[in-house]
Amino acid sequence: MNQSKLDRRQFLKGLGLGGAGVALAGCDLPSYVTLEQGEENVISYLAPNEYVIPGVGVWYASTCVGCSAGCGIHGRVREGRVLKLEGNPDSGVNMGRLCQMGQAALQHHFNPDRIANPMVRKNGALVEASWDEAIALINEKSKSGKAAWVTGTISGHQRVMAQTHLGAIGGSRHYAVEQINANVWKTACKDIINDPNPEIHLEKAKVIFSLGADFLGTFISPVHFAASYAEFRTPPRGTLIQAEPAMSLTGGNADHWVGIKPGSETALALGVANALMNNHGVAGNGISNATKTLINKHDPETVAGICAVPVGRIEKIAASLAANSPSLVLAGGSATGNANGYSAAAAALMLNQMLGNIGTTITAGRELAYPQLDLVEGNSANLKDLAIDANEGKIDVLFVSGANPLFLAPKSLKMLEGWNKVGFKVVLSSMLDETAEAADVVLPLASSLEDWGSHIPSYAKGTRNLALQQPLMEPVFPNTRGFGDVVLALAKDAGAPGLDDYDDYYGYLRSAISALKKTDSEKEWNGFLMAGQTQIPSLGRKLSYSDGKITPTMNDSDDGNLTLIASARMGMWDGRGANLPWLQESPDQISKVVWDSWAELHPKTAKSLGIKDGDYINIKSASGEVTTRAFIYKGIHPGAIAVPIGRGHSALGRYAKDNGVNPLSILNGASDSKTGEIATTATKVSVKSAGKNKQMAKLMEIDRQHGRKLVATISADKQRRTEGGA
Amino acid sequence: MVKNNPRKRPIPWIRLSMVVVLVGAIIVIAAQILDQKLHYTSTDVVPGPIVPGTQYPDEAFTGIDVPQPIDFSHKIHAGDNEINCMFCHTYARRSKVSGIPPLSKCMGCHTVIATEKPEIQKLTAMWEKGESPQWNKVHDLPDFVHFTHQRHLKRFLFDNQELDVSDAKRVCSMCHGDIAEMTVAKKSRPLTMGFCIRCHEANEGPSDCTKCHK
Repeated sequence: MNQSKLDRRQFLKGLGLGGAGVALAGCDLPSYVTLEQGEENVISYLAPNEYVIPGVGVWYASTCVGCSAGCGIHGRVREGRVLKLEGNPDSGVNMGRLCQMGQAALQHHFNPDRIANPMVRKNGALVEASWDEAIALINEKSKSGKAAWVTGTISGHQRVMAQTHLGAIGGSRHYAVEQINANVWKTACKDIINDPNPEIHLEKAKVIFSLGADFLGTFISPVHFAASYAEFRTPPRGTLIQAEPAMSLTGGNADHWVGIKPGSETALALGVANALMNNHGVAGNGISNATKTLINKHDPETVAGICAVPVGRIEKIAASLAANSPSLVLAGGSATGNANGYSAAAAALMLNQMLGNIGTTITAGRELAYPQLDLVEGNSANLKDLAIDANEGKIDVLFVSGANPLFLAPKSLKMLEGWNKVGFKVVLSSMLDETAEAADVVLPLASSLEDWGSHIPSYAKGTRNLALQQPLMEPVFPNTRGFGDVVLALAKDAGAPGLDDYDDYYGYLRSAISALKKTDSEKEWNGFLMAGQTQIPSLGRKLSYSDGKITPTMNDSDDGNLTLIASARMGMWDGRGANLPWLQESPDQISKVVWDSWAELHPKTAKSLGIKDGDYINIKSASGEVTTRAFIYKGIHPGAIAVPIGRGHSALGRYAKDNGVNPLSILNGASDSKTGEIATTATKVSVKSAGKNKQMAKLMEIDRQHGRKLVATISADKQRRTEGGA
Repeated sequence: MVKNNPRKRPIPWIRLSMVVVLVGAIIVIAAQILDQKLHYTSTDVVPGPIVPGTQYPDEAFTGIDVPQPIDFSHKIHAGDNEINCMFCHTYARRSKVSGIPPLSKCMGCHTVIATEKPEIQKLTAMWEKGESPQWNKVHDLPDFVHFTHQRHLKRFLFDNQELDVSDAKRVCSMCHGDIAEMTVAKKSRPLTMGFCIRCHEANEGPSDCTKCHK
């Protein structure tokens, strides 16, 4: 009391007045902090192109390679630098929209941790080398045994090029590895309705019943589906029912979110089918008697016991589907991520058949007339095969590009052991990821904004297009080369026929597309580049229906442990987004956490385990353990714990390294019985507190509005009477 | 009353910090005012020919000398030979920036004109090597200020009925001073926010914060 009469309030007043005074005077004071007068250079053009105006951007079309959706992009280029990416309005995939991963491709392009020079392993360590040295080493070793290629989803002329090279070095196996995929759904569609990639019309449906398919975030072509979804939600507004054990972005948008027990989605679908047939007089045309018997065994009461979903809810879902036609039933994500995933997809298609959706909301897609250009869609069954084959000594020489098997593979697959048995490993990459760090030769690739390419989008409505990728600027790192250029050179060195006419991949691509379009004109070629795409011939498919094998059994021991859900998110994706600060900084769509991993736990489960929000917890499976912080919320089944994939890198640059944990590493290696997809929701884990607590960095600390009306809401009861059909 | 309130506890370090902040603030403000006095020299610099129909800014400033790789003479080009500013700074009417002319434009004339002069020989050597000169920035604004040449030229030159386009340098001199009398450019207007605002007020320019601060 005797020290000073100045209290905090007066102090702040003084500070404010002083600050205002400085700010007023500041209008006439030149800022010495920010002015670069006499310090920075301005460099003029030598001889500029006519259309170049400094300060005015020019937009070029290209194609996003962030995932396999193949969205068209426009890149704004100013003073020779690409500054902004947006969606290409002419692209039928994304219609002018672009997701956060596409936007963030700029940060991959300008990333300070990109590989600048080729590297060769000498005395156990990777050291920089010249291109000549690296290529000579590859040429010397690439025919020394059984060769294989590992890529992500690959299509267009890059696929042709990689397979030409593989043929020239006498290899046979091409492993397309992709952790986030719709392989189970597509396989089921191929078997059951005779079209692996049917058109899905969200906008035509009045009710969508989705078993775990996160079509707004990670399912096949999320930007495209988000646009269809917006149309679905315009009046008369459709109802979305989402059943999944841990809430996804799509689940967060649903009218009715059903927190189902992991792995019981097939049973829920059968229960709904039972209610449809018995309570709503749905006949079930085309459904085999064996399946009908199975449906009859699954009355809502039985199913309620299996799924931990109330009987009333199952009956309401059935009533909603029966009353609103056409509807749409989808399966993907967590529903197909267990040992019985194929059954969930088969059951979803069976429901579509019962409800008459096949031919209305699910229609036939179109097949490319040039199958050699079509997508080789990556899946995680190939990841498992790669680990097994490498361990069995079936691979001597391995070329890897666009995939990171050492990060994605669970420890239980023994990928690293297999990798070390492969005699010679070449990685073509722009970032030093886990796989590149363990390679014998690393070739630095140009970024997607510096490279030529052609792509087939993984999902298309109507006509089929070849999406074109062109460089938007000069290489940031001058000693990098395009994927096509490197593989073309390797294929020529290996003696592949018919490539001698081409000096570079651009020449090859241009001549191949000219042949495809039967035109040699410069003007038309420029037209293709300006459009970012060109139509190619395709053939219509025809849908049919024959029941798939549905086995609702769950290998579920109720041992008190929790089921780990390695959840997929747009953003980090399968880990490729972790080195981009924009994506790290964007709050997760559900938990709002930034820059770290977290584990979602239901409040009841957390209470019984004595875990509070922000507690560090050990999550231990039979094959490993990760430690991260608990995020307590209600959008998860009490018997599950969800950890998002994508973080937990031990490499991949300064932003990704040692940030968060990788739940894929502790998966038990179980896989879908039909497709071999690695199950992401079938690992039992024990969870205990690690004894530390630290507040998580997240955007929204509380999930309540405290009467502030930030988002307009109505009561659940009123919503049921007015908008929600179920 | 204050004494009895347990929440209003004294902060022991507050006096010291106030003194430090005050002294710091005084030093910073005094240094900047001193600097302003040194540079604002309204009599030294000729303001340049005025623009008809416009409240012409009369504030002058003496910028630092910024040496350039080539001792380019604005006086010979824009002054003696009366070349329009926009002949070389061709982007000014099309873009935010006026742009440094491309080397090809210099060589358009200097393959034949004044080839014996040492500065031109320097230029020719750069052209033959394919290198652009590393010019040093003279007129810079902070990154949070979005000034556009295009809009100002439209307002004061192309939309100005009383001024012929051939007299563009009068408009340029509003912010750049009498460049036609200089060799390499030197800052001769303060180019502070106060300078901008006073001109905007006199000529009824926009006063929205977001016009310049985006």
